[in-house]
Amino acid sequence: MLCPNCGYDNIQGTDLCESCGSDLAGLDLVEAHPGFRGRLMTDHIGDLPLISPPPFVQPDTTVAAAVSLMREARLGCVLVQEGSELLGIFTERDVLTRVLRPGKNPREVVMSEVMTADPITLSPSEPPAHAIHLSAARGLRHLPVVAGDSVLGFISVRHLLRHIHENVLGET
Amino acid sequence: MQSRIENLLKNVKVRDLALQKDHRIGPDTPLAEVYRAFDEQGHGAAMVCSGDDIVGIFTQRDVLNRTALEDLDPQTPVSEVMSDHPVTIGWNEPLAESIRAMVEGNYRHMPVVDDDGRQVGLLSTRVILRFIADQYPEAVLNLPPRLRQVMTHSEGG
Repeated sequence: MLCPNCGYDNIQGTDLCESCGSDLAGLDLVEAHPGFRGRLMTDHIGDLPLISPPPFVQPDTTVAAAVSLMREARLGCVLVQEGSELLGIFTERDVLTRVLRPGKNPREVVMSEVMTADPITLSPSEPPAHAIHLSAARGLRHLPVVAGDSVLGFISVRHLLRHIHENVLGET
Repeated sequence: MQSRIENLLKNVKVRDLALQKDHRIGPDTPLAEVYRAFDEQGHGAAMVCSGDDIVGIFTQRDVLNRTALEDLDPQTPVSEVMSDHPVTIGWNEPLAESIRAMVEGNYRHMPVVDDDGRQVGLLSTRVILRFIADQYPEAVLNLPPRLRQVMTHSEGG
């Protein structure tokens, strides 16, 4: 192992350079390079600021009320809950395909009629790459994150893009 | 030292991606027609063009915020509910720049223009995420089984 200070060729694994005494311990470890970036395959989404708090509604909440909540909170989805159980998800796209297109009245139709029941969810221990795959492959813009019985919130494509911008590209 | 994905994002250009091409509608297009196109094609946005000029953009989020509760006549022209003069991205920009533009502007879609300012397609977060997902094919193998959750249509379909 070459000493970075004097260039002396030391025996591999020496702690101090035999020529100049520089500290060599740790040089042969893989160094996190400057600007170490988030790792899309190995980070856990639960450890990252990726999850938005769950905007909860009930199965008998009307579409109109859910839309008002989404407008106020500037969100694209609500999570339908009974007690602590996640029953389904209702998104901005469902407003179009399940209410407006069939000509239903948003003030009469309720969540249980138009939500996606038993939705695809993520666990907080999964990596961002899973969220990216599910979103890209299945066209899902919002993914609930669930740990056992606990609904932690949801991840959206906006969050994923921001995460990539800040943690992969290192922009803040 | 950059990671491989960071390197790709800074070198691949917007024009190298699979941009949406069937995205243009005229300003007089009735809402009912736009809804039908969004539903059947699975897209989240349409670029409103008058001749070669981009005059607006209308998105899935606009449906939520501007039309869902307003009981609008289905024949209402899209020009009345669209966003005027959307921010565009040049087709030679690196992917990283388009990501910056989308994050800073809070967009999920951006019209792409060539060197002469003519529109050549619509860029979406989905196209960007698909590109990134393709760099991690091993993630597909690691996905936990979600056996009962087989979606045959995109979200909401």
